[in-house]
Amino acid sequence: MGAYFDDKDLAHFGDLKQHNPELWGQFERYYAAAFEPGLLSKREKILIGFAVAQTSQCPYCIDSYTQQALEQGLTMKHLAEVLHAGAALKAGIALAHGLVAHNVDKKVSM
Amino acid sequence: MSLAASPAGVQRTRRSLDKALMQLRAERVATLQVNLGRICNQACRHCHVEASPSRTELMADAVVDACLSVLERHPQIATLDVTAGAPELHPRFREIVEHARHLGRSVLVRHNLTVQSEPGHGDLPDFFASRKAELVCSLPHYLAEATDRQRGPGVFAGSIRGLRALNAVGYGRGDGLPLTLVANPVGAFLPPHQEDLERDTREHLKRQHDVTFDRLIVITNMPIGRFADWLERTGQYDEYLDRLERAYNRQTLPNLMCRTLLSVGYDGRLFDCDFNQMLDLELAGRCPQTIEEFDMAALAERPIRVGEHCLGCTAGSGSSCGGALT
Repeated sequence: MGAYFDDKDLAHFGDLKQHNPELWGQFERYYAAAFEPGLLSKREKILIGFAVAQTSQCPYCIDSYTQQALEQGLTMKHLAEVLHAGAALKAGIALAHGLVAHNVDKKVSM
Repeated sequence: MSLAASPAGVQRTRRSLDKALMQLRAERVATLQVNLGRICNQACRHCHVEASPSRTELMADAVVDACLSVLERHPQIATLDVTAGAPELHPRFREIVEHARHLGRSVLVRHNLTVQSEPGHGDLPDFFASRKAELVCSLPHYLAEATDRQRGPGVFAGSIRGLRALNAVGYGRGDGLPLTLVANPVGAFLPPHQEDLERDTREHLKRQHDVTFDRLIVITNMPIGRFADWLERTGQYDEYLDRLERAYNRQTLPNLMCRTLLSVGYDGRLFDCDFNQMLDLELAGRCPQTIEEFDMAALAERPIRVGEHCLGCTAGSGSSCGGALT
């Protein structure tokens, strides 16, 4: 094994099926159904996928969802807006967790 | 699959094509697509014609005359499709359009918008409108940065000026002067759904630039010419072909443009499409090989020469000079 993350790995994602075909099949059906257009368009769901991929720091998903977004007619300019929205939310989440410290401090400090 | 060397010496995977694609035949010649030459005021990075301002190839007078003669003799050819390079830079371009319109044929001009800024071509919008030519205009994307990356710095701004000039004479307003935009991916991926991109482009161009158009079509980048060179330089040729192959859609076959179109090179040679023309893939079998030898009976239901580049036209929703096929 040369590296933990290799872009060629993505094509072998399905190899994991052999370890538990039944659960893998359920996952595949669930994944496909969740990304079907509904009240939200396919493009909106792809952008959600991209935001989650970025903020979860999954290189495979970032690769896949970037390419899917490009095939929706979006450009890096569009993706940069998603990137900053996701990053801003992550910053807000980090700051919001400061409330825990704030509340603990209020409780135990004189 | 096996390996074959590309013209640039890069190893390419040789693909086996669907039998139904291999057995493709034309059904009629409804469109004569004439490529007037390689000269263009632009040098786009993806151009399959590899056109540029420095190219000098132009359709000779005798070939132009032969094309017009074929149109005169065959009224079943309903459309003359004029392409190049920038076809407007051919000295007889306007005469060709006028002649075909005089014969009552639809004339479709593949117009790059910025050629209007070239000396002596500022009145093109008026000319097009007076001859009621249909315009198919390249605009890869509604954002400047994407379009300029593919077509060159400043091309987007020039294209918007061109579109405004066309709108001013009545094009793209839904009243008989049709203006179609052609979008293609700025990279090694498939185009978006035509309707989605048309909607986004319509909203963006109206809001940001006060420009209107009638229709938008998407085309897939063909793995030939400058685009193939770029794919090879960046090590993506096989990956792109894999992508096209995975997206192969047999339902595109009945509507492929080669089934109703005949392509004429600037030198008068005949081809199944502009792409085969650039690959030098001449007509199969005992078909006439030049416009001077045009024979409708022999050409109408000819077998089509196919190759792995045809995977570009058969991927996803399909691709043609008229846009998506399914």
